[in-house]
Amino acid sequence: MLYVELTTQLRRLRSLILLAALAVIPVLAGATEASKAGGRGGPATYSALNFAEGGLDVMVPLLFGLVVSVFGAILGGADREWGTLRYRYVQPVSRGRLMTGKWWALVTCSALAVATFVAVALLTGIMFFGWHPYHVTGSSDLSAAAATWAILGAAGYVTVCLLSMGSIALALGLLLPRSVEALGITVAFLIGSAALDNVSAVHDIIVILPVHYWLRWTQLFGGDASQLIPGLVAQAAGIAIALAAGYLLLARRDPAA
Amino acid sequence: MTGTVAVTAHGLTKSYGHRRAIERVTFEVERGQICGLLGPNGAGKTTTMRVLVGLSRPDDGTAQLLGEPSRLAAGILTRVGVAIDGPAFVPHLSGRRNLELAWRAAGHTWPPPALEESLQLAGLGEALGAKKVKSYSMGMRQRLMLAQALMSGPEVLILDEPANGLDPGEVRTLREHLRRLAERGAAILISSHVLAEIELLATHVVVMNAGAVVTAGRLEDLLGTGTYEFEVDDVAQAGKALRAVAGVRSVTAHGQRLSVTAPGCSVKELNHVLVSAGVGVGAVRATRSLEEAFLGLVGQDDAVR
Repeated sequence: MLYVELTTQLRRLRSLILLAALAVIPVLAGATEASKAGGRGGPATYSALNFAEGGLDVMVPLLFGLVVSVFGAILGGADREWGTLRYRYVQPVSRGRLMTGKWWALVTCSALAVATFVAVALLTGIMFFGWHPYHVTGSSDLSAAAATWAILGAAGYVTVCLLSMGSIALALGLLLPRSVEALGITVAFLIGSAALDNVSAVHDIIVILPVHYWLRWTQLFGGDASQLIPGLVAQAAGIAIALAAGYLLLARRDPAA
Repeated sequence: MTGTVAVTAHGLTKSYGHRRAIERVTFEVERGQICGLLGPNGAGKTTTMRVLVGLSRPDDGTAQLLGEPSRLAAGILTRVGVAIDGPAFVPHLSGRRNLELAWRAAGHTWPPPALEESLQLAGLGEALGAKKVKSYSMGMRQRLMLAQALMSGPEVLILDEPANGLDPGEVRTLREHLRRLAERGAAILISSHVLAEIELLATHVVVMNAGAVVTAGRLEDLLGTGTYEFEVDDVAQAGKALRAVAGVRSVTAHGQRLSVTAPGCSVKELNHVLVSAGVGVGAVRATRSLEEAFLGLVGQDDAVR
């Protein structure tokens, strides 16, 4: 089912546009920074690694969250919108396989989105700013090798974080009549969570929201990497709850729809 | 290959809320048979088909395909071709890609065994691989749906209104294809509003009305036994006289002709009733079309005044 879901989703024009946009953003940003008068415009321009890290900082949580929400909502709602669900069941594909296929397609799309951005950001950074150690303001630089591993680790962590939001979009896609409604609610939740994350008065609430932990990947660049563990646990819990809800919604949905 | 039961509906009952969609629906389709499932709108045909392929769970009764219980995504469905509730495809992919995904979704290796044969039936030509399904006409989608149902070389076919959107030539091609499949031992259950098509194709029929089976059996039995056509000079008087006869199940009028369903009554007996009632009988025929039989059974024809 993974092949089926991926072929279905990645051959959609909107998916290709999203991935292309993720590739274009670092190119435009790199070109803009490099063209600034007086040479290096900021910490992101010290090396390709700084540029890629800076790019991740800009993309998380909202822009990546938006992209993965689109994938999740479409994966959840497409069968109903096209009426193909009944034909999946008579092929026959069980609910479990259907849900597993959608989940792994979401994992692949999320990883592809992050990987596309990071790869293009690194290549753009190399082209405009060169391959140097990662510069840390007010501290000693990280070696290029250590920073590369940190970038890869950050990309992995961000992908896991995005999956929690993608899973919510997937479940809402299975619940609501149209994918666009699922997307709208997920994005509203994403923006609301990100806004609340800065309000200390609601600390007890925000610690259970997935977005609260999303920026902890920065600890991989010379900080306390153990702080990522609560983040991973929170994302895993969010993913498990969203997927369980998604399966229940699929089980309640009219198979003939 | 005939004689083996491939489709079994036994006491199927299904309600949606307070509305009973089907009630104690029972019939069988054997290998080699083409069984027409007939009924007016709302008779319960599609609900019956949904239950048979596991898309709907019956409140009571059992459905079996090839001797195995039918339920949602049951493994036995790999040997069944289904077209139900109209065509549905991924719109931004080509027809060929849709067929491939449908086949691979069940974990099979592409291509399916009867692909070429089913594509010949579909007759989509270059559009199959070159055009996205969203640009297909209704007829093209219908043919693609049939190709999807047939590409596995199924032992059982369950087709809901398969001739919708097809032109007469395509309907004829489909009819010949289904006949060949039945001759090879496939069991085919087909619903249609086009009674003339079913009359040309089916070996057996199940007639449903208001959620229940009205009659089920061989087509020739339905058309030939206990059904008569009288040409009379006084339709109203003839209808009144015939309805008073025990064993007469329906009397329908078409101008000066009366179609009478009366299993167990002889034509001589009915003719005697008419003559005794003072009705002049111009001609008598002990046969009828499927349409007449169907309308007589479901009570939708002109009422005899």
